[in-house]
Amino acid sequence: MAGGVNNAPRSIVTTETRPVRILLTGIALAFIGLFLVVPLVSVFVEAFRQGWQLYLAALVEPDAVSAIKLTLITAAIAVPLNLVFGLTAAWAIAKFEFRGKSFLITLIDLPFAVSPVVAGLIYVLLFGAQGWWGPWLADHDIKIIFAVPGIVLATVFVTFPFVARELIPLMEAQGSDEEQAAMVLGASGWQMFWRVTLPNIKWGLLYGVILANARAMGEFGAVSVVSGHVRGQTNTIPLHVEILYNEYNFVAAFACASLLALLALVTLALKSWVEWRTERLAAEDRRHATEE
Amino acid sequence: MSIAINAISKRFGDFVALDNLQLDIASGELLALLGPSGCGKTTLLRIIAGLETPDQGQILFHGEDATDTHVRERQVGFVFQHYALFRHMTVFENVAFGLRVRPKKTRPSETEIKRKVHELLSLVQLDWLADRYPAQLSGGQRQRIALARALAVEPKVLLLDEPFGALDTKVRKELRRWLRRLHDEMHITSVFVTHDQEEALEVADRVVVMNKGKIEQIGTPEQVYDAPATPFVYQFLGDVNLFHSRVHDGWAEVGAARFAAEAGDSDKAVVYVRPHEIELSRVATDKAIAGVISHSRLLGATVRLEVDVKDAEVVEVELTRERYQEGGWQVGEPVWLNPREARVYPAA
Repeated sequence: MAGGVNNAPRSIVTTETRPVRILLTGIALAFIGLFLVVPLVSVFVEAFRQGWQLYLAALVEPDAVSAIKLTLITAAIAVPLNLVFGLTAAWAIAKFEFRGKSFLITLIDLPFAVSPVVAGLIYVLLFGAQGWWGPWLADHDIKIIFAVPGIVLATVFVTFPFVARELIPLMEAQGSDEEQAAMVLGASGWQMFWRVTLPNIKWGLLYGVILANARAMGEFGAVSVVSGHVRGQTNTIPLHVEILYNEYNFVAAFACASLLALLALVTLALKSWVEWRTERLAAEDRRHATEE
Repeated sequence: MSIAINAISKRFGDFVALDNLQLDIASGELLALLGPSGCGKTTLLRIIAGLETPDQGQILFHGEDATDTHVRERQVGFVFQHYALFRHMTVFENVAFGLRVRPKKTRPSETEIKRKVHELLSLVQLDWLADRYPAQLSGGQRQRIALARALAVEPKVLLLDEPFGALDTKVRKELRRWLRRLHDEMHITSVFVTHDQEEALEVADRVVVMNKGKIEQIGTPEQVYDAPATPFVYQFLGDVNLFHSRVHDGWAEVGAARFAAEAGDSDKAVVYVRPHEIELSRVATDKAIAGVISHSRLLGATVRLEVDVKDAEVVEVELTRERYQEGGWQVGEPVWLNPREARVYPAA
């Protein structure tokens, strides 16, 4: 070759031999196929086993519609609430120094550490008929356990960490220089938040919200404890699926399950898109930074 | 606008950042706060800005107490060390920010904002970058945009925190000359923080040398360089050789050389001599210090020699390249050192 470029096969210093590479890749692919792809496909195969009509019928049946509605309502309340909680918690932790900060961070992680069933039981103990505030609630005709408020509370609890966990490292990395600059330039607290802080964290925030939403709609354990499984009233999609399955109504069970599977796929797609965007922005920043 | 800093103290836990500090800044002057890292200079700047609250003391803006005035209402311009430009806004929007966040009553019209922003961008000679994002600019450009943004609100005081610290040497030199010219045109009271003595001496009207939360000396660049008030100032404002000595009859003796000293008899003293204030000679005189050249290093236009001296650390001598060649100095050669200037301080 002209110029004496060495085009001989590279010596095997930094890479494994071909058989080893094929073996390792093969194991990884087989694992993913067996444990992820096959079950996912089987959900849709089972759902459509007896044709379109039955699939659709299972979804428009009143109990199913009620479960879908309840799931959407729960997510519609829990996600915005945790958006606000997560944002304020992350703001406090990332921008201020105070006593008990590490304790607060640990508390935020608590819902991840506690079993969802325990999370549900907490609310039964507090608001249930035999619970601490049960009698008072009964006197005032307020229903929380075995009703929608209980389901929302349990969901808020289990989805609490997502937004905060996503934002804390991001906001800590960004520091508060830009906020201080905004203040010196005369911006009020609100102006600073809307014009400087929020635009800087919007992708991280979206990412947290997507994950929180997926969990809110798919949560089983905690909701199962507080829901009471009243058909057409306090069943979310996951609970409805379980009931159908236990009644050997496989087509309907898988039809509803396919909705959750679909949600998972959409979530994954959104998540990858947000990740791709943030990485591209970060790469751009780095590229410009190194150009100096 | 003049600023008076009255007995300001600030602690961070056990660390004393500022210790009962007293400083008057005249209207329209360009003042440098100079000192090593951790000396409190940035804390002082942030206290003036209102980004930090002092534990004790008072800040007067034009004679009026501003200690409890919120940073939003202080009307200061602040340029951050790492620029702190709003990364999601264009250069134009960055500069316009201070005007856009004003309350409706005092907010200028869109055309007025446009005119003002372009005027400022022309002032910093970057009008052609109006539509770019901060990530697309070089460090020097970012710094100038940060300055334009700070000036947009027509501040009465301009505060700059290590404004050139993150730039390479060449850009830094250009920018500080440019800042000096800009200040001469606008006459806005300005305070900048730096750890670079050359920068402070070149740009500022007056230099405040700080160490460990206290002011060591305040003066014009000539005053602090030619008449350093303390050993710290002397050492901080350039390279220095020190000789430990004892005082006899009002003279500090180093080898055969003697320097007038104010310290009492047989007190320990330290003699400071700058490397470029030493003459080399092959002939022994009664006031010279004997030594042997051990190293020579070429630094562009100057040559730095290291001379081994008995009873002292290595002494550095700086010569111009011409003098070095005229003298024909060789490594290993015995020489005599004649300090032209020296300062004697009592040993601590």
